[in-house]
Amino acid sequence: MTSKTGDHESPRTLATSKATDLKASAQRVPPPETPEAIQTRFRVIAAFWAVIIFLGFPIWWKTTSIYRAHLPIQDMADWADGKTCRPVFPLEIHVAAPTMQLPESQHLVRTTQHALDDLNDFAAHHLRLKLTNDTGASTAQGSEYNTNVAGNMVDDGPDTALTVRVVSQEGLATPRSELRADTTQLDIFYPPSQVPIPSSSNPPLSVFIAEELQRLYSEEKATIAHILSGDSSGRDSESISRRLRRSMKYADTYHLSFSLFTPGSAPSSWDIEAAVQDYLSPLLHAFGPISNFTIDTQVQLYATFSPMAPPPLYDEDESAWTLKKEDLSAFINAAEWPLNPSIGNGPTLNFILYVPDPSQSPMIVKENHASSWIVPQWGGVFLLNPPLEQAAKSGGQTNPAHITQESLRPAFMTFSHQLLTLLGTPTTPASLPLRLQSLIRVRAATLLLSASSTMGSLARLTESLPSIPIPATVASSVSTTLSHLSSTCSHLRDGRFGAALASARIAETEAERSFFEKSMVGQVYFPDEHKVAVYLPLLGPIGVPLLVSLMKELKRLVAGWKARRRSSS
Amino acid sequence: MAVDRRKVAVFGAAFVLRLLLICLFPSLPDLLTGRVEVSTPVNSFKRLQEGLYLYTRDVSPYDGGVFHQAPLLLPLFSLLPDVTTNPVPTAIFYFLVDLLNAHALATISASGQSVQSRLHSAMRKHIRWDGTSVAAWFLFNPFTIATCLARSTSVLTTSGILFAVSSAVSGNSLNAMLALGFASYLSLYPALLFVPLALLCYDQRSQNSAQAPNTALFILQHGAILSGGIAGLLGLSVLITGNFWEFMTATYGFHLLVPDLTPNVGLWWYFFIEMFDSFREFFLGVFWLHLASYVGGLTARLRRQPLFIITSLLGVFAVFKPYPSISDASLFFALLPLYRHLFPLMRYTFFAISALLYSSLLGPAFYHLWIYAGSGNANFFYAITLVWSLGLSILLADVIFAALRDEWEQDHPERKGEEVKQV
Repeated sequence: MTSKTGDHESPRTLATSKATDLKASAQRVPPPETPEAIQTRFRVIAAFWAVIIFLGFPIWWKTTSIYRAHLPIQDMADWADGKTCRPVFPLEIHVAAPTMQLPESQHLVRTTQHALDDLNDFAAHHLRLKLTNDTGASTAQGSEYNTNVAGNMVDDGPDTALTVRVVSQEGLATPRSELRADTTQLDIFYPPSQVPIPSSSNPPLSVFIAEELQRLYSEEKATIAHILSGDSSGRDSESISRRLRRSMKYADTYHLSFSLFTPGSAPSSWDIEAAVQDYLSPLLHAFGPISNFTIDTQVQLYATFSPMAPPPLYDEDESAWTLKKEDLSAFINAAEWPLNPSIGNGPTLNFILYVPDPSQSPMIVKENHASSWIVPQWGGVFLLNPPLEQAAKSGGQTNPAHITQESLRPAFMTFSHQLLTLLGTPTTPASLPLRLQSLIRVRAATLLLSASSTMGSLARLTESLPSIPIPATVASSVSTTLSHLSSTCSHLRDGRFGAALASARIAETEAERSFFEKSMVGQVYFPDEHKVAVYLPLLGPIGVPLLVSLMKELKRLVAGWKARRRSSS
Repeated sequence: MAVDRRKVAVFGAAFVLRLLLICLFPSLPDLLTGRVEVSTPVNSFKRLQEGLYLYTRDVSPYDGGVFHQAPLLLPLFSLLPDVTTNPVPTAIFYFLVDLLNAHALATISASGQSVQSRLHSAMRKHIRWDGTSVAAWFLFNPFTIATCLARSTSVLTTSGILFAVSSAVSGNSLNAMLALGFASYLSLYPALLFVPLALLCYDQRSQNSAQAPNTALFILQHGAILSGGIAGLLGLSVLITGNFWEFMTATYGFHLLVPDLTPNVGLWWYFFIEMFDSFREFFLGVFWLHLASYVGGLTARLRRQPLFIITSLLGVFAVFKPYPSISDASLFFALLPLYRHLFPLMRYTFFAISALLYSSLLGPAFYHLWIYAGSGNANFFYAITLVWSLGLSILLADVIFAALRDEWEQDHPERKGEEVKQV
């Protein structure tokens, strides 16, 4: 023991020796440490270690422990793998046959259902016929559709997708169908001779109705099949994926921006508020269950083309200025026109009304004489060629200073159409309510899948990075998402598509919120090895002398204990 | 009396020097007030002015997050005339505080506690300076003068600490604890001096009375006095601000959590700028524990010289506390001349003093290069603060070594040499 401390002290002894001691110092051993000195040293070391153990370790534990809320990892992975929910789309179709006897109509429904089931090759999406004998049903169904759209999701029965009215009409050789553009009613007119007789198993009228219905829903069916399978094989998948590419990604809120651009000083005002109110609001209202919209408008005068863009050419045959189809992509002067990519929360859809200069009016697209086109995932453009006015002074022709609501009508009809396309509405059938219903189903399927796969990604992320924190808010978001996903699934199974979409929207929002939680992302790129680099530079220099002194002290204690045992035994 | 006349001359000269400086260079106080070496977020006179402005207009002084000093300073300074129109009374107030501090130092020196205490008697007690010289060292130290002219509120903390020590060495332990309570109330960190100060009082008490008092009881009593003093001051503060938690988080929370990383001469700011956010709390704990851990170790090792524990702890604080300024260094330098008898035993005085001079000259230059000229970066200034801290730590380690050596020589009058544990 003594020799050990002697080794330790000798260099210092030499260095600090005074001249008076030099004669004896070279080989000298310092005096043995007094017990008090040993005790004092023990106390010093104990004081430092007491601070480390009683204050340092609790602080270390408290400040570096990572809070990981419990997540239902297995459930989340099951949702992502599609094990929990198999989305089905049972569409309920009411059949009203006011001109038929009850057994006849029942037979008709039964045989039509058979024919439909034979035609159907996609099990998840199927049509269910139901006989209603209420003759007033046609109008009632229309209004019921409206209430559903307005958010009345609480009724327990399935949404009625379509009402088929089977009416006999004299003077027809074959049955014929008529779909009204503004209702969810399909009228089937048949010659009275074709009333199905109960014995026939496959009456021509049933086959006709089944084919009509099949045709009506073929696009929606293909779209849903495309979304659910995720692959691009199949008959219509080329056109469907093209349509999906053109449309915007789903968002809870879209921002619509209407801009009037003109290269001169006129027109400088437009009746935009009334136009939006009259031409667009009904459509936006109908979109209510799917998305919300915010609108802003602007007028930009002296908006010139980009210098890079090819200028319009005068076409003698058409007596109009023409733009080439391949040049349309350069039409929008993105550098100078103030078109914000995104205002507010959601993505922005831009609609541009371009009034050409009087010297270049009228302006059309060369190939097809169109005056409007759509920019995929961005918006639409409409070329408005107003009738020119004679200027009072110069005698030249000018644009009118004000664009009236009436002259905005064609532009807004086009914009509405473009909006439907950009939002991914199916192009068939012809009836707008049916198209919107179809969009609801498509969106519900999309959101269901997207929220499920977000859950799966989150589960994988938290599994693969054990060091990231999981705040309690994420856990609650996940549980909200999962519960809304399962309610979406059950709503879909029961055919309540509006309610299903409402749940799916909540699920998607919560899923995104949990996945992009800021405090989690912060540590994603912080592997465990980096902690060495964090701890060592400071704690190393402090820790090494403390550890060495602790070990020496322990050695001394052990040696002393052994010596005492030896002497006692 | 000759000695008294000398003291008067020193004090008068110090006063006149300060007065001359502000008369000849009227912009000097404002210049110094803006220097990061002198003014930190917790002692800056500018921030005090802001708090004062809000306070006199009945707004909470902590609104706006600029003011982080103890609320009792506000009524005190609101008694003084407005500093923008009439700066002299405030300056004279600070001069007087400086002179009072010097007087306290002279008292400490006169007690001889630094060379001769209950358990210890220095070997070279003939090598020492008298109180007036120690006071002169303090009063004519450029760091002290700069702090005084910059009107940093640290001088009040300094007075608290010096009065606590001077009361302790004259045996007035009640006053010592109250003064320490005042200093802790102002700056939080002096509370760490409680144990050595209580030991100092204990030694004085047992030296003067026939039998030594019960140690545990004595410490408990004095702890209670200290807590009582602090609680009283906090109570007054609540009366002033009206919102307990607001002022607690704005002052002590600010000291503890170090949210303002304005550069200063310490080691914390750069470290916490670079620190990953998720480790910030942990390293705050590490830094504070590092600071606090010296108390136990030094107290155990230097139990025989309680005044020296205080001196060395003040040196540790000047290096490792969160918002150090040169006023902390000047306090450490003020107590060092009490240990004149240790100077022959010190080994690295030349190196330490060179490092300190080097950094005090280059520090402002590098700061200018970084902030104003834009031709340097933060590392320039940080490197200089490292040199400054290095110089202070070498000085500190050296003086601790000398003190231990002195103790050892006392135990073994015939031999020389002692192991020093420097952590």
